[in-house]
Amino acid sequence: MKTVVRRLAGHLARGAAMIWVVTTISFVIIRTIPGDPVRAQYEKLIEQGMAPDQAERATAALYGFLPKGSLWDQYVGYLNGLIHLDLGQSLSTPGTPVATLIGSAAKWTILPVLGGTLLSFLLGVTLGVYAAIKRSGRLGDALAISGSLLHGVPQYVIGLLVMAVFTTLWPILPAGGPVDIMYDPGFNAPYIVSLVEHATLPVLTYALAGYGGWILAMKSSVATVLGDDFILAAELRGLRRGILFRYLARNAILPLFTILALSLGMLFGGAIFIETIFNYPGLGLLLVNSIGARDYALMGGTFLVITVAVVVANIAADLLYAVIDPRVRTGGAA
Amino acid sequence: MTESSSAPGVRVRDLTVVYKTPAGELPALAGVSLTLAPGTITGLVGESGSGKSTLAFSLLNAVQPPGRRSAGSVEIDGIGDVSQLAGDDLRRVRGRQVGYVFQAAQNSLNPLKTIGKQLLDLGRSHEVADLPALVRDARALLGRMGLDGGRVLDSYQHELSGGMRQRVGIMLALVLNAHLVVLDEPTTALDMITQATILRIVQEVHRERGLTTLIVTHDMGVAAEVTDSIAVMYGGRVVEHGPTTAVLGSPRHPYTQGLIRAIPRLSGDIAEARALPGRPPTLGTMPAQGCVFRERCPERREICDSVDPAPVAVGDRRVACHAVEPAPASARVRKECA
Ligand SMILES: Nc1ncnc2c1ncn2[C@@H]1O[C@H](COP(=O)(O)OP(=O)(O)OP(=O)(O)O)[C@@H](O)[C@H]1O
Ligand SMILES: [Mg+2]
Repeated sequence: MKTVVRRLAGHLARGAAMIWVVTTISFVIIRTIPGDPVRAQYEKLIEQGMAPDQAERATAALYGFLPKGSLWDQYVGYLNGLIHLDLGQSLSTPGTPVATLIGSAAKWTILPVLGGTLLSFLLGVTLGVYAAIKRSGRLGDALAISGSLLHGVPQYVIGLLVMAVFTTLWPILPAGGPVDIMYDPGFNAPYIVSLVEHATLPVLTYALAGYGGWILAMKSSVATVLGDDFILAAELRGLRRGILFRYLARNAILPLFTILALSLGMLFGGAIFIETIFNYPGLGLLLVNSIGARDYALMGGTFLVITVAVVVANIAADLLYAVIDPRVRTGGAA
Repeated sequence: MTESSSAPGVRVRDLTVVYKTPAGELPALAGVSLTLAPGTITGLVGESGSGKSTLAFSLLNAVQPPGRRSAGSVEIDGIGDVSQLAGDDLRRVRGRQVGYVFQAAQNSLNPLKTIGKQLLDLGRSHEVADLPALVRDARALLGRMGLDGGRVLDSYQHELSGGMRQRVGIMLALVLNAHLVVLDEPTTALDMITQATILRIVQEVHRERGLTTLIVTHDMGVAAEVTDSIAVMYGGRVVEHGPTTAVLGSPRHPYTQGLIRAIPRLSGDIAEARALPGRPPTLGTMPAQGCVFRERCPERREICDSVDPAPVAVGDRRVACHAVEPAPASARVRKECA
């Protein structure tokens, strides 16, 4: 238990450091890109006839930090705002705090990404075990080949294919958006059905994009464990098939949790393409729109949230690892 | 819990096991015949690669791919020909009727489960009704081998030393009361004193329960201490098999003689210990015909180049050598060879 706490503390420290690096980089970018948007906004307000101190306050409200004072003071002010969850105001949607925009976009990304990842993880891991055990069988081969093929296809291509198949060739699902606006939001059947229908294609895309990797990773992990002495020893002790299978699967799945954490991070990046394709109002689309509108405060905020998501995913995966592997739990050597 | 209270006899007949290699299927066992008398401890000795583990695995019909049995049978009293068993019938024999201690017993445990849980898995797999009694037996066995049974059962593999794991492996092979026990180099990770203790316990349990035991070992000293009979392997053949005192006291096969001369502890003087010249054959360098030992043999003769000697009874043992006459007159054999 102590070691788990120590690991958690280590993760939190590393995560905080990572978040700090990302926020600092986005601060520097916003302050140094050509045509400094903060300065430009300030000057625009002055031109519009605003008094300097009023313009200063308006700009500060917009970006979350003051355009005046030394760079260091501005930086400290910016960090201070972040600590109070004040990410500044959006430029492209005037008057709306960045935090509000991100908050409403986050759910459209987190749920489909988690759903798609879990789906592909479960599917890929199960079929990967099968592919490894039936290595010489036809179905085993077919599974492994399907894994290699899918693994090589970029996510956005899968997205476009899924879109083409299910909205044009065989139009059974809506092509974009999060939900039909004709239904009243709330806990009623038509609205929920519409939600699920709209989420199906993005989730399917995440799942298909991840599936190939999982099947290949699990197959090779199972093959490794199958070669371990303890599996043969268990067989020679006459353990039942079901028990043997559990020995095999639990040991084989372990290294995959590390990949799971990394892949969650990658998927939040991949959401940029998928959400654009399906016009799905998540963080990825928000980021794309903020880049289009040169909305730097929104950009910085989105980066930050994606970073936090990656950090949280990492911690969750590591804790899961610790629950399964006694060597980690007790801090012993492998 | 016991199925039959008497020790089973084991008869291996003309067993050939081949491994698939890039050069084709090559025999690791070439027509091996070996009888384990009920209630005895047999030592299986021989240099690395001589086929000891392959033979040991064969007793459980557990030769691993790319290997396979291509001919012969393994009869065990009360079980029949294990080489014909498959599926659940084979599984039930393994562990329950034939206990097996793996050569790499340090790595024979699931790293993710405590020893106690793995013990319960073993019990459930073999439909042991009284699991608490099984745990008590396990604790007692571990205690006899100098371990704190309760603590060991609560431990994970990584919390135990190599020698402790090896003893856990021995416990798991004995705890179900199997009447045939195969131990493949069971004490390699142990220091000399622990090794002696463990072997004495194996011997004790063997006597108490009336087992038939096969101990595979590199160590002639180990074999000398605990076995009733010794089978010497060379190049996939059993070249000499007989009572321990006879084989060690007056070895008949030139290979056995060389093996014993190579051990200072047994030959008495370290200056007199002479390493056997040359190297044992591997699957690829095994001669296709004739005696597999002839290249290193001080008593080589013409017939050795063309005819693989068949084992023949010489007194109370079996020897496979052209230089050994079926009569127990070793002096005459020496003269002929000179
Ligand atoms: N999986 C395998 N593939 C190919 N050849 C093998 C395989 N396993 C064993 N062999 C060969 O079969 C022969 C007998 O091997 P075996 O493991 O039975 O020897 P051993 O007497 O137990 O040796 P050691 O004392 O080193 O354990 C060796 O020549 C070995 O190279
Ligand atoms: Mg061996």
